[in-house]
Amino acid sequence: MNLERLPNEEKLGLCRKYYLCGFACLPFLWLVNVVWFFREAFRKPAYTEQTQMKTYVKRSALGLLFWFTVLTTWITIFQHFRAQWGAVGDYLSFTIPLGTP
Amino acid sequence: MYGMPMTIFLFVCLFVTGVSCNSVGDKIYVDFKDNIPCVRLLNATHQIGCQSSLSGDVGVLHLLESEENLDWVLSSGPDPPYMVMLESTLFTRSVMMKLKSSSNRVAGVVVVAPNTNPSAGFSPHASCPNENSGVYTEKYSPSLAHCNATVWNPLGNNLSYEEFDFPIFSLKDDNDTQAMRQCYMDHNRPVNGSKPRYPLCAMQLFSHMSAVTDTATCMRRNSIAMSLNPEFVCDPLGDVNIWALSKPLNVTEKGHKPGESVIIAAARLDSRSFFFDIAPGAESTASGLVTLLAVAHALRNATQEAQLNTTIMYTFFHGETFDYIGSSRMVFDMERNQSIIDLDNVHSVLEVGQVGLHGDTKLWLHSDPVSRRNSSIDEEVCVFFLLNFSVEEPGSSQALPPSSFQRFLRARPIPGVVIENHQSTFTNRYYQSMYDNSDYLNVSYPPGLTPEEQLDFVTDAAKVLLLTCCLQFDTRFTFHFITVMLCRGFVEQTDEVSLNLSVFFSPGNTTTNFYIGVNQQMSEPTILVQFMLANLTGSVVNTTQENCNNQKENEDDKETKHVRPTDRLMCFCVRSTCRTTKAVSPAFELEEYTSSNYSTWTESRWKSIKGRIFLVASHDLEMLTLGVGVGVLLTSLLLTFFISSKADILFNSGREPTNATY
Repeated sequence: MNLERLPNEEKLGLCRKYYLCGFACLPFLWLVNVVWFFREAFRKPAYTEQTQMKTYVKRSALGLLFWFTVLTTWITIFQHFRAQWGAVGDYLSFTIPLGTP
Repeated sequence: MYGMPMTIFLFVCLFVTGVSCNSVGDKIYVDFKDNIPCVRLLNATHQIGCQSSLSGDVGVLHLLESEENLDWVLSSGPDPPYMVMLESTLFTRSVMMKLKSSSNRVAGVVVVAPNTNPSAGFSPHASCPNENSGVYTEKYSPSLAHCNATVWNPLGNNLSYEEFDFPIFSLKDDNDTQAMRQCYMDHNRPVNGSKPRYPLCAMQLFSHMSAVTDTATCMRRNSIAMSLNPEFVCDPLGDVNIWALSKPLNVTEKGHKPGESVIIAAARLDSRSFFFDIAPGAESTASGLVTLLAVAHALRNATQEAQLNTTIMYTFFHGETFDYIGSSRMVFDMERNQSIIDLDNVHSVLEVGQVGLHGDTKLWLHSDPVSRRNSSIDEEVCVFFLLNFSVEEPGSSQALPPSSFQRFLRARPIPGVVIENHQSTFTNRYYQSMYDNSDYLNVSYPPGLTPEEQLDFVTDAAKVLLLTCCLQFDTRFTFHFITVMLCRGFVEQTDEVSLNLSVFFSPGNTTTNFYIGVNQQMSEPTILVQFMLANLTGSVVNTTQENCNNQKENEDDKETKHVRPTDRLMCFCVRSTCRTTKAVSPAFELEEYTSSNYSTWTESRWKSIKGRIFLVASHDLEMLTLGVGVGVLLTSLLLTFFISSKADILFNSGREPTNATY
């Protein structure tokens, strides 16, 4: 989708939709929001909707950072300690590797 | 119009090349013909056996010449990891422990099985078999627990119960193995201490085991029914116990049978070795089981005539090697009133242990000193010794050897004896190893017989001296077994009885495999013994095969089986009291996978087991090839980019566009 062809109101609407939907445990939408609208919000010359767009992009970036740290921490802990957790580790796993603890 | 001849040409080419298929893989790899791996077994606390990595372990082949040569593998060899090829004389505990301790340089071990047994004796089993599952615990008798008084298997080096994280295979000593030795001599052998040059002979072994840690973990992972394809990683060891009664009893009524007094004549049905599915067990298993079969046959007519008030139950327990699976299950069923009789019905237990005789060894009757402190039990046991046989009693304070009778004693004190050919330690030098085969027992036919004649061979001078509790028989029999040949010659010397046993199984000249295996199917000896016992203790019934298999019983005490000894002999229907009951450890019934009272042995599952041998290039050459390839890729990318960006200059120079006039 080429943002060039859209009027500004629609761009803002799109940005808002991505921002709001990301709250449904969908951090990837926030990532898309940040990457897609970064140039629009911060590099283009100012227009009326841009301030609102800037807040959306900033908040998306914050939310993204939060999710990234939480997920990275949990994944590191799980991969490292799953073998030691015994039964709990097995019940948390979707696929249990064969032949290794 | 161009297409048609081209397609025909293509088809012809494909046809020609497809039919005379030249696989590149066949030119590189030579696969092993038979694969005899060591597999992983798990119990409540440990895992034992061997494990390879998922995509096989590759190592440079090294033929170990002596124990000092191990230094090349462990530290000085320049091309680790090594795949160590051992002759059987070097397959000892010290060599294997050294290899285990530096397993980052060892990719695997291959043991060449010799054609003759090693003279020094070899037993990979524990020196105190079934130490924690017998009757001698700290509570029962601290002085006899853990083989404090008598070490039964002094040659046992416990290798079967060690854990190795590299694969170990066994190879027969034939032409392929000789080719491997030649490959080592040609390529890998260090000359004058110099580094051998690439390409080197390498071997790859695949034996990845799915189960890990212990039985509780693997049973839990079996039952987690998640994800797209639930995987079973292990199976409990189990098979069936076979028993037959000398007098029919009602089978549908389980539990205590009032007024019945049963003598259990027991033998074991299984054996093991270090490697998977190799368990010849000639002296440790076959000698006892064949003796009991002979006794059952010999007593068939005698017990019917004598009209005794005690019943004899000839029982063959499976899984005794792995912490008494069969006998613990039978005792468990008796305690829960799930078995045909109750422990109260059991008058005594007579067990036939290892009775293979070499030369002029004697027979000994072992009994349990602790239960004999009770005078009533002592009286019963002494009856055995009053029988006028030439057997001896070992020291009266000696413990019982490892035997199924111990599990009965664990439940309650019962009088009983175990017949063995050793006074204290085993005389069997190859207890539970791959060398415990018919060569060791010196089984031999008279010379000059064809295989058919051997099968029909009957001994004339067979004099059976039978030991049964409270009964004394001295009978002459000749035996003719269709698929199991029992050749007994008795020589009655002054005060000695010696049994010469010759045991032959299946005319195909393959060694019987007594390993218990997993629960899914009955092992070959089980089927054999079942039909044999039915044939020996039952009577022939004249019906067709369908009627035989479908017959509903009027009396619930006998079962008809269609006995089909071999393919070329006649089949017939036999009615007998022979039955089978499940022999799976009670731990799996109760789902107590960490139980210390019952056997918890399971066998891991695996995907593929194979091995192959090939020539391998040096690591530097591989990296060089990869580097050159990557370089060619980058160069071609650059060239393409360069050419396409300057395309108008390169391709339009010196060419005038012709003005087409139409």
